[in-house]
Amino acid sequence: MIDIEKFNKVLKRVEKPARYIGLEKNSIKKNLEDVKVKFAFAFPDIYEVGMSHLGLHILYNLINEVEYMACERVFAPWIDMEEEMIQEGIPLFTLENKEPIKNFDFLGFTLQYEMSYTNILNMLHLGGIPILSADREDEDPFVIAGGPCAYNPEPLADIIDFFVIGEGEEVTLEILDMYKDFKKSKGSRENFLRQVSKIEGVYVPSFYQVHYNEDGTIKAMIPLVEEAPRIIKKRIVKDLNKIYFPDKLIVPFIETVHDRIPLEIFRGCTRGCRFCQAGMIYRPVREKSIPRLLELADKLVNSTGYEDISLISLSSCDYSQLQLLVSKLMDEYEEDRIGISLPSLRLDSFSLDILKEIEKVRKTGLTFAPEAGSQRLRDVINKGVTEEDLTTAISYAFNEGWSTIKLYFMLGLPTETDEDVLGIRDIGYKVKDMFFNQPKEEQKGNLKITLSASCFVPKPFTPFQWVGQDSIDEFNRKIYLLKDNIRDRKIVFNYHDPKLSYLEAILARGDRRLSKTLIRAWEKGCKFDGWSELFDYDKWMEALLETEVQGDFYALRERELDEVLPWDFIDSGVSKKYLIREYEKAKAQELTRDCRLGCTGCGINKSFSGGVCN
Amino acid sequence: MRLFERTFRRANIPIKYSEGFNPQPKLSIANPLALGIASCSEYMDIELQEKMPEEVFINKVNTQLPEGIRIVEVKYIEETKSLSSLIRWSCYEIEFYAANIKSIEELEESIKNWLKEEKIMVTKVKRKKNRIIEKERNIKNLIGNVIVKLKDTNAERDTKFIVLNCLLRAGDKGNLNPRDFIMAMEKYLNIGIDWDTLEINRVALFIETDGEIQSPI
Repeated sequence: MIDIEKFNKVLKRVEKPARYIGLEKNSIKKNLEDVKVKFAFAFPDIYEVGMSHLGLHILYNLINEVEYMACERVFAPWIDMEEEMIQEGIPLFTLENKEPIKNFDFLGFTLQYEMSYTNILNMLHLGGIPILSADREDEDPFVIAGGPCAYNPEPLADIIDFFVIGEGEEVTLEILDMYKDFKKSKGSRENFLRQVSKIEGVYVPSFYQVHYNEDGTIKAMIPLVEEAPRIIKKRIVKDLNKIYFPDKLIVPFIETVHDRIPLEIFRGCTRGCRFCQAGMIYRPVREKSIPRLLELADKLVNSTGYEDISLISLSSCDYSQLQLLVSKLMDEYEEDRIGISLPSLRLDSFSLDILKEIEKVRKTGLTFAPEAGSQRLRDVINKGVTEEDLTTAISYAFNEGWSTIKLYFMLGLPTETDEDVLGIRDIGYKVKDMFFNQPKEEQKGNLKITLSASCFVPKPFTPFQWVGQDSIDEFNRKIYLLKDNIRDRKIVFNYHDPKLSYLEAILARGDRRLSKTLIRAWEKGCKFDGWSELFDYDKWMEALLETEVQGDFYALRERELDEVLPWDFIDSGVSKKYLIREYEKAKAQELTRDCRLGCTGCGINKSFSGGVCN
Repeated sequence: MRLFERTFRRANIPIKYSEGFNPQPKLSIANPLALGIASCSEYMDIELQEKMPEEVFINKVNTQLPEGIRIVEVKYIEETKSLSSLIRWSCYEIEFYAANIKSIEELEESIKNWLKEEKIMVTKVKRKKNRIIEKERNIKNLIGNVIVKLKDTNAERDTKFIVLNCLLRAGDKGNLNPRDFIMAMEKYLNIGIDWDTLEINRVALFIETDGEIQSPI
């Protein structure tokens, strides 16, 4: 345990001390002496962000259900706390037992976002754990990682001991159980890594050597030990009705980003938007049944006391019996003043009908994501939304009394022209006209339209994994093109920092040569890069320069279709052939239907079963 | 507030909700405690949809509260005035180490003289977006009584380790944060407080009836 006297002293000096105290309802504090496997779940961002992540709650409870295992939480301390900890000599600790993370058997990071990677390095350092995997010794924990960004694990290859690709519920317990037996055998660190690499979904980067061509592209990736498979197949859970889901959740003292019950209704997505990594890597679609969901909702409401249930998934309006689910939940909970919410909405009246039902009284803002400003470009990205969908949905919304509308777009999508960019403005103006074209007496509320644009980052395992990103200058040009052309008090235009998106693109499609760049950036003080007040682009540029890495090579370069990509050794279930076909169709502006309406041949049903593909 | 609303829902306590578009639970904390201050004496008003025996209420709620927070007493009241409008005083135990204290008696004397000053000014710094606003205010009338003691656990009877028992104004008609009080005292008396040793504990809240200070329950 850390020095509690020092800890108490430090707590008085930092903002939001509840980030560090633990003790929340439903948190689990076991006697660490009594357990055989100690797992520290590490989230590389602050408490309020990490506690909003469903995966944490699932794995936390799953591991703690096993009597001889303990799972505790650790988050990135905010900079004020970090400073105090360094000054007082307090090592990074878990919230439950205030135990230094160095004393755990595993330190498991979840990779939700590329720009949190420097926080991983910082947390290791604060915990007194060597940054480089190669420098760790037998008494150090195994530093492991999973989550969506693990689908391209290579930039972290020198840092993480092993990765887990895919869904963690089953494989995590397999790993921890293997470790329990291994501990008895008193084998070496390498012994365990060899053993664990035999588990499907586990990737040990140090067991592979990457060879490069003269132009810097990858020639081949060769396994160095016989246990290491050539292809790492992602793990999925077959039946979501049978798989573990917690019946209680930790209830934080302070408000978190998503301060409500996250009720996962299905995994996967059938829409096939070509920019979307989640839509590809979480395939196939697997739904939870209504009885199972009602049972879970009941248990979770009773154990947490939350006043809101959020029905979460990648595209919740696609749940096959959404109407029925919502009305059953409403019947059950309306009287207890427990609200139901949907995190994402499709632009159709069906979705709005449901929304109307759940928001009977409160008319909060409405958010839609047309993603692109023109029909042509929406077809390129296979976002099956038409101008008509948009106008129908918006006029419906105005009719029902909504007046705050937020629309999300991406800039820099493949084949984008200035006309497409200005299409974003046109949509904004059109929505405004629709509002004021209503008869005066029917105009409810005070109209506010927010047009929000992010900068497109091509991601692995999508049909756009080969495309070059727009340069920062080009992004800025497009941003100013819009800025200069939107002059209306009712319309607010927001945009993301292209510099951050450029770095995100480098890390998203980077290879293992980036590990040293990451380390250098961290040494220069980069951390919390996703927080605009702390993001320091210049330091990152220095780090790239000093480690002789060309950022443009990773972010801006268009790849040949036959190039070996750093993540090619991972089998996500979606075939490369399908991705190439979708890429070609994108260029030809051809749509691909929602695969609930008929298989589109992505390949997931060949290697995996479950869900709609059965 | 959120914590209590959720606790009551877990405990199956039927709280009354306000009418209107955005129903809110009818709970109110008598005098919200400032962050970083401990307390063994908090009060709140709760309106229930139906009456239940006091001990049932206490048991149900206590099993659902997080560690460190417990309900010690409940009482049904007819009073329509809210607790928060009745609270007038708060009593704190403030302990710290101060390097410049020579003796308890001397400290008592200087506090007595300090409290005789016409005005006791504190500067409150507020951050609003990017602006920093400084506000001066006179807290003289918000200080009721200060008693100086040695810290009990202080084996060597070191006169530099002391505890102040302070009665400070609380409630809608004037409220003094104990931290502002202690900072003002340091500013005027310069006793060399080591801020790392500062511990503040609220030990009581009081209402006033006909000029008499009373416990709210």
